[in-house]
Parts: sequence; structure tokens; C-alpha cells
Amino acid sequence: MNTARAGRRIRIAAGLGAVALTAGLAGCGAQGGGGSEGTADSGTIDWWGWTPDVNVANTYIEAFNEEYPDITVNYKQVPIEDWEAALRPALQTASGPDVFGVQPGSRVDAFKTFAEDLTPLAEEALGEDWKDKVSQIGIDGLTADDKLVAMSVGAVYAGSLWVNQALFDQAGLEHPTTLDEWVQVCEDFRAAGIGCFVQGASQEGFDQDTLQAIAERVEPGAWTEASKGERPWNDPAIVETFEIWQRLFTDGIMQEGAIGYAQYPDANNDFMSGKYAMIMMGSWYTQYAPEAGMIGAIEAAGVADPEPFPLVPIEFPDVTGEGNPAGYFGDADYGLALSTKSDNKAAARTFITWLTTNEDAQQIVANTLNNIPALKGISADWDSITLPFPDQQLTALQEYTETVSQATAARFLHLNQDEQDAILEAAVSLAEGTATPQEAADRMQETVAALGE
Amino acid sequence: MVATEPRSARTLAASPGTNAPSTGPRKRERRALQPHGLPWILPGLVLSIGVLYFCIGYTAVISTWEWDGLSPTPEFVGGRNYAQMFRDPVFWGAIRNTILFFVITFTVQTALGMLFAVLLHSRVKLGVVYKVIIFIPVVLAPAIMAPVFRQFFSADGLFNGILEFFGLGAITQPWLAQSSTALWVLMAITVWQWTGLTFVLYYAAMGQIDNSIIEAARIDGAGNLRVIWSIIWPGVRGTTVALAMLGAIGALKTFDWPWLVTVAGPNHATEFLGTIIYRQTIPNYDVGYGAAVSVVLLVLALVMAIILQIRGRERAR
Amino acid sequence: MFEVRSLPGRIGLQLLVTLLTIPFLLPLVAMVQGSLAGAGFENYVAVLSVGRIWNFFISSIIISAGVIILVYVVTMFTAFGFSKFRIPGKEVYFWLLLACLTLPEVVLLAPLFATSVSTGLYDTYWAVILPLAALQVPFAVLLVRNFINGIPDELFEAARVDGASSWSGFIHLVIPLTRPIAAAVLIFTLIGAWNNYLLPLVFLQDPAKQTITLLPSYFIGQFSHDQTKVLASAVLTALPEVIAYLCLQRLFERGLSAGAIK
Repeated sequence: MNTARAGRRIRIAAGLGAVALTAGLAGCGAQGGGGSEGTADSGTIDWWGWTPDVNVANTYIEAFNEEYPDITVNYKQVPIEDWEAALRPALQTASGPDVFGVQPGSRVDAFKTFAEDLTPLAEEALGEDWKDKVSQIGIDGLTADDKLVAMSVGAVYAGSLWVNQALFDQAGLEHPTTLDEWVQVCEDFRAAGIGCFVQGASQEGFDQDTLQAIAERVEPGAWTEASKGERPWNDPAIVETFEIWQRLFTDGIMQEGAIGYAQYPDANNDFMSGKYAMIMMGSWYTQYAPEAGMIGAIEAAGVADPEPFPLVPIEFPDVTGEGNPAGYFGDADYGLALSTKSDNKAAARTFITWLTTNEDAQQIVANTLNNIPALKGISADWDSITLPFPDQQLTALQEYTETVSQATAARFLHLNQDEQDAILEAAVSLAEGTATPQEAADRMQETVAALGE
Repeated sequence: MVATEPRSARTLAASPGTNAPSTGPRKRERRALQPHGLPWILPGLVLSIGVLYFCIGYTAVISTWEWDGLSPTPEFVGGRNYAQMFRDPVFWGAIRNTILFFVITFTVQTALGMLFAVLLHSRVKLGVVYKVIIFIPVVLAPAIMAPVFRQFFSADGLFNGILEFFGLGAITQPWLAQSSTALWVLMAITVWQWTGLTFVLYYAAMGQIDNSIIEAARIDGAGNLRVIWSIIWPGVRGTTVALAMLGAIGALKTFDWPWLVTVAGPNHATEFLGTIIYRQTIPNYDVGYGAAVSVVLLVLALVMAIILQIRGRERAR
Repeated sequence: MFEVRSLPGRIGLQLLVTLLTIPFLLPLVAMVQGSLAGAGFENYVAVLSVGRIWNFFISSIIISAGVIILVYVVTMFTAFGFSKFRIPGKEVYFWLLLACLTLPEVVLLAPLFATSVSTGLYDTYWAVILPLAALQVPFAVLLVRNFINGIPDELFEAARVDGASSWSGFIHLVIPLTRPIAAAVLIFTLIGAWNNYLLPLVFLQDPAKQTITLLPSYFIGQFSHDQTKVLASAVLTALPEVIAYLCLQRLFERGLSAGAIK
């Protein structure tokens, strides 16, 4: 096509686009700008997020209101499946949220035009050296083009398994530390009429956690490099990862029908109701270790008269036997962004600053045990948390929290949705046995390469 | 179809040997004298076409863009999204699934819906209890029932338990975890949900059929099956055609159940156009591609509607 | 319809219906059981004590009522027009209408959002009522048109000989005669409006205007999913619809037996 014609076509398209957009977005412009400052210590702000849960958000807001009684915060939780569908149109108008949650990674780029740069806010709250005071993972994942699109509230990490220690004790078994032991433990559990390991393998995110945990044992950092495009997906380390993943299915570690299961609620409920001894979950699972969280979770799984069990995190087994350390990886769970169209920016800033940099606020975040707080030096106040089996749980949980928060590898940061789709496709075809590890890896490399074009 | 030949329940239900009032050319003459009907249909056109055609036009424009749904500067790419779609095996898989899905679910729902409607028009005790049970699934949101069905059809779920109970333990399997069976489970779920609709409409339509015709046929010695086949089935043809159109459109749009129960998997085994559109538009930020699939969906649905209309009309003659 | 006179035959019929109904019942039993699992009736108490639940109910009622009224009025006119009048290009209009059924909701969101903001309807009930009604009308018209097709023309002709206008034909014949199918339309419109989730979620910002379909989201988080309470909310949400069906089902059977057509 010659350039003149192409140019004209683009103009026509732009014209059509303008018609469609102005028909709709009349008066509000498709791009940033607008909004107003308002006052810093009063007003009403709307906060939208897919997380935290409503009751957690209300805890935050209550504490916030003790300090800033004249700012009303309305929190609207949108379930994660509908989050994008709801947020995207809303951001284009002044009627949308003042403060909205942002997932780290590829989304940040898409949302950056709708969010104010929060660097000045961070500098004002924490000083010039603010970057040293908060977790690096929170900054990396929420920055685009040197613009701090959102401030991290806290992070989540994965890579560990969680076990029901009561079932291990009942069957007289030890935690598996190698692949062979894992296979054996599962066999023994089955013989005792207890489920071994459960996973909702129909969902990419959790499959990826298991895959990345395997890959860390194969060759530390290999997965991250492949995610960043620094090595191909059909690299031998990934092929070996896929091979081990496939063995989880063929050697009877995964429960039957795993790829027809969702992690939430299916696998989680099965684990919580004591049907299985092990599950792949991350740091967010800490919130179910204390008495209250656990009883709620077991009840939610449909068990009457819930009895707590010792929920303990363990290292992912060394599935290669090569002695590489267990790897942990994480991302900011969510960041708070300030909408450019907010009509009460000052009050919104007050709220964001408070929740992400105030020590009291971050202590509350830590104590919910859902997120590991963004601000360094804050950790859960274990003295105030009642564990049902402190002897078996306390040290394990403290060490776990300490270890994972050191992790620097990312979980989803470097992978866009298309790549995640490709990972799921590989994972499922391996599980079904319709592809060999090499084939799955080749196909994945092909897909990802085609996406880059 | 569209009212060129208005048919009364009486003529539709007419079976050999009954006196149906004659319809014919005489009537068509008279119709020409009837007032113009456009004002009558205007409210409907304004509301539905007004609101929704703006969306359709908007979608058609977007389908020529490479756009993430947010950026103020979409890139015009012409037919590239369409070309990409027609090359994509997942798209063709979805088309195959849709056809199979429609044929099976429509047939089963029609058979069951008819059967229930006939049975419950007969002298069955506690009819209302059955009606309510069949109807409740229609009002339940797929999002809520999805986990229930995943449990129901899981490897150690109730369905396999029932099979074992009847000595069919040999065929138990993780139904939703296999490419070969997942689609069939979704069909079963769809039939479970929508038979209530089919039933209610047939039930209402059958109430329109003149009982005296059935009585007359019985006096002529027609048995139950003969009555169903020669009187009831033709008598509810309008409903059947309507349901076929709805079923076809519904099958094309299928989204909720596969997305919520199997995430369109395993391995795209339960992929539909609706799931592709959703995945591309929302999680994958490829709004242009999603729009292109929507446009194709629209065209296919129109073609289906036209075929069914024409066939319905031919058979009515 | 089926005529079975012998006692064993009637028992057989009853048995057949029962057997056919069981597969429909099983998932419902699983659902109710699930809603009572764990904390038992406490699940319902928890759902009912969600702060704004009555607000939700009222919003849902307002929206459903608005949609039903709009759909009913528009459908009756349109279906009558399509069924009994001469309109050039009628089939084209009809197909255009039907095509409205095909667009998936997700695709509608962006354009509808744009429209509702530019017309100032955003965050008002109209932003939900209008699109919902627009989505329900084609299906309703399809049903009612088929039904009116089944009303003998002779009735209208007789009315016309008496000097009655189309309007009075509409009021005195169409409205009463279509009661059975109107009851069906009413139910389906109610279901469509009551169960809709995405439109209120996106188009209503004010927390006081949120609808009942948002109830389960109080029990589903990113890393949690209280299945028992979600099912309890589902049971509570479905109840009004089932009750409506029960009431209307009597109406449309009465409507049928009134039998002006027979």
C-alpha cells in the first residue's frame, strides 16, 4: 500500500474513531487532565479495587478516619473477573473512582495515562531516599516510563507448599523433599485413604506458581529470563521444568481431574476441609493459619463444627535433586493509583499516602496476613495473633514471612496475558499428555515469538 | 413468516377431517386496505435498534483498530483483525463447538420441553411441583452454579458416585478435565438450565390449541402419539421456530458456562465465540480483535435467523 | 393432552414425570445443601446482615419494575404491528430487531458507557433500565408476535366491521388475549433484569443504587471464596423470581382457560 493512501486511510479511521469517541465521550476528552484539587483533609473519595475484601478495606478506612475524620472513603469491591470490564469505561469519566487499585505488570502501562505520577507523593511522605524505604518489588511492578503509576500497599509471594500437618501426623509421614519422596508420600497417603496434593490446574496463575517453583529448582532464574524474553521458552531448563510438571500428573502427585478444577473455591475448599494434605499457595495463605481465619475458611468450605488444624508452609521439594535453593517470587498485590479525573485529588492523596507509607497503617496491613507490607521494617505482630498450634506453626510462619519477603524474582510482572495463555496451554497439554515437554516448549516459544512480531 | 400469512391457532392445529375456516386470497386483498403499521412497531425499533445499533456500529469501527480499550490513539489496521481471526485454529474450533452444541442442546431441549409440557397438560398430580423444579434453573446465575457443577462432575463428585451406585463404576472419569468430555458436560448443564424456558413456552403454546380438535381426533380414533405428532407438534410450530432462533443465537453467544466452569478449556475444548470475545476484550486487552469476532458473530447470527425464518415459513406452507 | 384412563397408566405417567424431573432437582439439592453447609443457617443470617442488603433489594425492584413496564408496553405495540399490519420491508425490520440479541454484553459496555455519560444518564437507574429493556424487547417481540399470529384475524375483522379502530382493537382484543404470553414475557423480563450483574456494576456508581446481584461478591475475594454464603445469597436472590413464577403461572393458566380464543 502506498504511503499516501495509507495516510488517508488512517485519517479516515481517525475520523471515524473521533466520531465514535465524541459521540460517547463528549466533553470529557479521552486523555488525562481535568479533575480538581479539593482539600487535603475533607471530602468524599471513591476507591475501587478487586482487592482487598470489603471487611479488610473497612478496617483500613476506620483506622484512617480516626486520623482524618472528615474524609469519607467509599470502597467498592469489584470481583477480579469483572474488574477490568468495570474499571476501563469508568476511568474515562469524572464519575469514576478517585483512587483505584492497579495490578503490577503489563496493566500498568495501559493505565498510566489515567493516573497521576505519585513520585512527588512518595518523596514528600518518605523523603528523597523513599526508594530505600519500601520494597523494591512494589516499585518495579507499578512504574511505567519513569512514572510511579501506583503506590504498593503490600506484596504477595508464591513458591511454597502449604501442608495440613495433622494429616501428615495421622499417616505418619514426613514432608517430601525430593520428587521421589513426593511420589512416595502421595502413594502412602492414598493407601491411608487421604488425598495428597490438590491443585486447581484449570487456572493459569496457580499453574504458573507450580511451574516457576519447579523451574527454580531446575536452574534458578531461568524462568524469569524466559519471561523477560532473555532466553527462549524451549530452553533445556524450561523443557526439564515441563517434564517434571508432567510427572506430577503421570506419577500420581496431582489429584485426578486436576485440570478440571479451579484453585478457588474447589481446591482450596478440598484442602481446608481436610481432604488433601498439600496445596500450592503463597504468602496470602498465612491469613488462614490463625485460629479465626482458619475456622472461617473451614466453615466456608462447608464443614460444620470446624476444627482447626496446624497449617504450615514448607519448601517446595527439590524436584531435580540438584540442590538448588527453593525459589520464591512475588509481586505487589496491588497499588493505589490516583485518577487524573478525580475531583478531590488532595483528599485522595492523603488517603494513598496514609495507607502506603504510614507506619500504623502498614502495621494494620501486616496484621491482616494477606499482604506483606510495602514499607520495610514492618512485620506482623505475632504476639497479638492467636495461632491454634503455636508450637508447630509460629517459627515456621515467622521464618517463612522473613524468607519470602527477601525474594526479588517477579511472579507475573514480565508476562502479559497472551504469554500467560500460552503457559496455560502448555501446562494443560502436558497434563493431558497430548504433548511431550519438548513439543509443548517449542510450541510455546513459537506462540510467544509470534506475539512479539 | 412475518405475518404475510397470519395463521390462527385453529388453522395451524387443523388436522385432517376438521373444519378449519378457510384462509386465502380473499384475506390478502383485505389486508391491503389495512392501515399502515409502521407507527406500531416504531417504539420497539427506536428502543432496541436505537440503543443497540449504536453499539453495533461502534463495534464495527473498533474492529478495524488495534486498540487496548484505553489508549486515546488507536491504530487503524483495516482488516488485519479479521485476517488474524480466520487464520486462528481456536476460532474454527469455536465454530465447530458451537454447531455441535446447538444441534445437541436444541434437540434435547425441544424433546424434553415438549415432553414435560405434554405430560403436565395431562392429569398429573402435583404438577406445580414439577413445573417449579424444571423452571428454577432458568433463574439461577451461572456464576453461582458453576462451582456446584464442577464439584458435581469432578473425579470424586456426585455424578461419578451415581454411576457407581448403578454399577457403572467402569465409566467414571474426571468429566470436566478431559478435552473429550468437557463439551458434553457443558451441553448437559445448558440443557439443565434452559429446558425450563422451552417447557414454559410450549406449555403456554399448547394451551392455545383448541381442545375440541383434540377431542375430535380422539373420536376419530387417534392415539396419544398420533395426537402429539399431528396436532400438538404442528400447533406449536411458531414456538419451535422461535426457540430454534433463540437457541442458535444463544449457542453463538455461549459464554457464561464454559468461561465459569472450564475457562473454555481444557485446551480450548469448550471454546466458543463468546469466550474468545471476552478473553480478547477484557483480559488480553485486544479490544479490536474482540470486536472483529463480535462482528462475525453478529453476521452468523443474522444468517442463522434468516435460514431458520425461511425454513420455518417453507414448512408452514 | 395425554389421555390415560387406566390407573396403572396414570401411575406410569406420574412415575415418568418424576424420573425425568430428578436430574433437574439434583443440582438444586446440591445448591441448597451447600448453602446450609458449614455454619448452617448462620450463612443466611450472614447474608441478610450485609449492611446494604435492603438497599440492594429496593434497587433491584426499581430496575426490574422499570424494565418490565417498558418492555411490556413497547412489546405489545411492536408485536401487534408486526403480526397484523402491512409494513413495507417488515422482514428487514424484524431481522434488524432480532440481530440485537446477538451482541455479547461485554462488547456493549464501552459504547453504552460512552452514551450514558454523554446523555447524563450515568449513575441513574435509566442507564441500566434502558439497555436492559432494549436487550429484552427483541425476544419478547418474537414471542408475542408468534402468539398474536395465533389469534384469528376474524376477531379483528369483526371488530373493524363494528367500526372500532386499530387502537381499540389493541386495547380490547390484544391486551386481554395476550395475557398468557404476557405473563411469560413478564417472567423472562424479570429474570433478565433481576439477574443482570454487569450493567448495574458498571453504570451505577452510587453504593445505594447497587443491586442484589452484587451480594455474592461480599463473600468472594481475590484469595477467598465462601461458597456456602455465596450459595445462600443465590437462594435468597432466586426466591423472588420463583415466587413471581408461581404467582404468574396461575395467571397464565387462568388467562388460558378464560378462553376467548376457543
